Amino acid sequence: MNPMNSMNPYFAGVDIGSTMTKVVVIDTEGKIRSRVIGPTGAEHRQLANEVMQQALEQANLSFDEMSYVVATGYGRLNVPFADRQITELSCHARGVASFFPSVRTAIDIGGQDSKGLEIKEGKLIDFVMNDKCAAGTGRFLEVLAAALNLKVEDLGGISLKSTRKVNISSTCTVFAQQEVVSLLSEGVPLEDIIAGLHNAMASRIVRMIKRLKVEPDVVLTGGVAKNIGVVRAMKENLGCAVLVPEDPLLSGAIGAAILGKELTLKALAKGEPIPRRERHLEKVTFFSS
Amino acid sequence: MTGENKGLTKAKEIYQDRSRRAKELKAGGKKIVGYNCIYSPLEMMAALDLEPYGLFGDMREPTSKADRGLPTAFCPIMRSLLDLGLKGRYDFLDGMVMPHSCDAIEKTAHVWQCLIPVPYFHFLDIPCTVHEESLEYFKGQLIDLKKTLESFAGKELSSEKLRKAIETYNEQRALVRELYDLRKPDPPFISGTESLQVIKALMSIPVEEGNELLRQVISEVKERKNGPQKKAARLLVWSHILDDVALMETIEGAGANVVIDDCCVGRRAYQADIDITEDPLDGLTNYYLTKIACARTFREAVFGETKKDRIADLESKFGYMKDYVNEWNVNGAVLLLVRFCDPFGFEVTEVTDYFNSLDLPSTYLEHGYSEGSLAPLRTRAQAFLETLSS
Repeated sequence: MNPMNSMNPYFAGVDIGSTMTKVVVIDTEGKIRSRVIGPTGAEHRQLANEVMQQALEQANLSFDEMSYVVATGYGRLNVPFADRQITELSCHARGVASFFPSVRTAIDIGGQDSKGLEIKEGKLIDFVMNDKCAAGTGRFLEVLAAALNLKVEDLGGISLKSTRKVNISSTCTVFAQQEVVSLLSEGVPLEDIIAGLHNAMASRIVRMIKRLKVEPDVVLTGGVAKNIGVVRAMKENLGCAVLVPEDPLLSGAIGAAILGKELTLKALAKGEPIPRRERHLEKVTFFSS
Repeated sequence: MTGENKGLTKAKEIYQDRSRRAKELKAGGKKIVGYNCIYSPLEMMAALDLEPYGLFGDMREPTSKADRGLPTAFCPIMRSLLDLGLKGRYDFLDGMVMPHSCDAIEKTAHVWQCLIPVPYFHFLDIPCTVHEESLEYFKGQLIDLKKTLESFAGKELSSEKLRKAIETYNEQRALVRELYDLRKPDPPFISGTESLQVIKALMSIPVEEGNELLRQVISEVKERKNGPQKKAARLLVWSHILDDVALMETIEGAGANVVIDDCCVGRRAYQADIDITEDPLDGLTNYYLTKIACARTFREAVFGETKKDRIADLESKFGYMKDYVNEWNVNGAVLLLVRFCDPFGFEVTEVTDYFNSLDLPSTYLEHGYSEGSLAPLRTRAQAFLETLSS
């Protein structure tokens, strides 16, 4: 008997990041059946169940059809509707390896942290992580976009027009902001300033990543990977090609769903029950003790 | 309360209210001498009827006053210690001994004397290499310490009393090692968190009371039924002053049993015995300079066999950890350091290299000595455990 017959055929990954909550549902083939991205923001942080609900509606599925639910991201610990929590480091590694099986280095630049993953044959073997400082995270770009009165999603396109990127000497978000204001007052073109900011961010992250053995293929994920200017700056600073998946925000959630599927199959292959928890689709109990 | 965890409960009480016993003893007329690090010769203090009391920072107390004397990019533990001193937490001390274990402690010692004067203060200089000349020099420093302690205590330190104190502390060392043996089974009889609590309690009470506490804990944990659960990971933690149970709990809570450590509020202070020598100062000199395995001492040139052989050097520096790994059946190691720790920070590469040579997976984690450090630590510890199990 096909082991797949004895379980529900869907797996969910719930990635509660500091800025965005991502939910992905995959089927037994690993095909993505639905994907939803919603803000984690202060008032939304308890509502991961609603993002999950949206994902279920999108695929016309019910929660009971989920064979396994894995929660990841910094909000992973208190998700009552998950069977298991796995760190974002392992989930990102698994997710990235599913799009790019030959990946050796993955760099994830999230809203409030950044991480480097060393991957071998699809498995996480070492990592570095910055979550102490806004510089080198999406927050850096948000703050500076606000200082320049621009939308963060427009930064990448503008920076491509740069012919002479400036050197931003400060890697601190607060001081970089001051530096930008003074550059503006000196009449430096906007695109050169933004290109300089992207470069400052990329060089900071690359310095951190170098604690690992950085080998191609290098994959860039996280919300910041949507910024074409940062991708270019990362290529320059790393001195090699940088691959970006189709939807760079989802690699953690996809990895979580895949790991859930693998745990399920492993249990079934051993003839053991699926290690599920008694769970209901309810509010996240953030920061409760 | 069944009474089956009486010793552990007592250790926890002492841990939570560390200075209570010292204050009682002070009220009874004893002089309390604070010390930091594991390089302060407690045997000399105890032999003079002085009561040694271990000094620590407090990662739960936000450091708000240390800027008066110490830079911000500096050992957070020493900053916290000075902060507590400035806030009056250590006002009951009659004296202090601060050894030159590292530059952070050395600098703090001088700043302390300016900002928080105590009736008796001794800065103990310790060389950083192991040679005939350094042993001789260090013995001279111990003779100096003996003199200042004697004048503070108002009596002479006899060889007989010192020898006796050494024996009592050696007994403590043997008992701690016995306690650590109870972490060899799977699951261990006592968790890393509980063990840390016991050791920190030992550093807060008189040595004989500590030995009694150890005997109680050793006999009861073997019998209890609510001990640690079996976990897939059996970890070794390599650190310096790891003095808050929350740090250990965070690692164990991520899904591991910490079965052995090489830490200062841990095995490092109890790993070796002091030899009983004709002049007891010779035994002390030899112990504190050559037998404590700490990053602060350059120990490649092992006394009497200075080789220029890296493999032999690594073995002589870290060979004891190979025994830990084998005897405690360790399958992963966490190098856990506080930010800005130079002596241990510089040793991370070599320790990692040594663990690699043993095929032991390891990870290096850093914390900021604050409660805010715990959540990032948990994620990293959990991710490391995931790499072990995948």
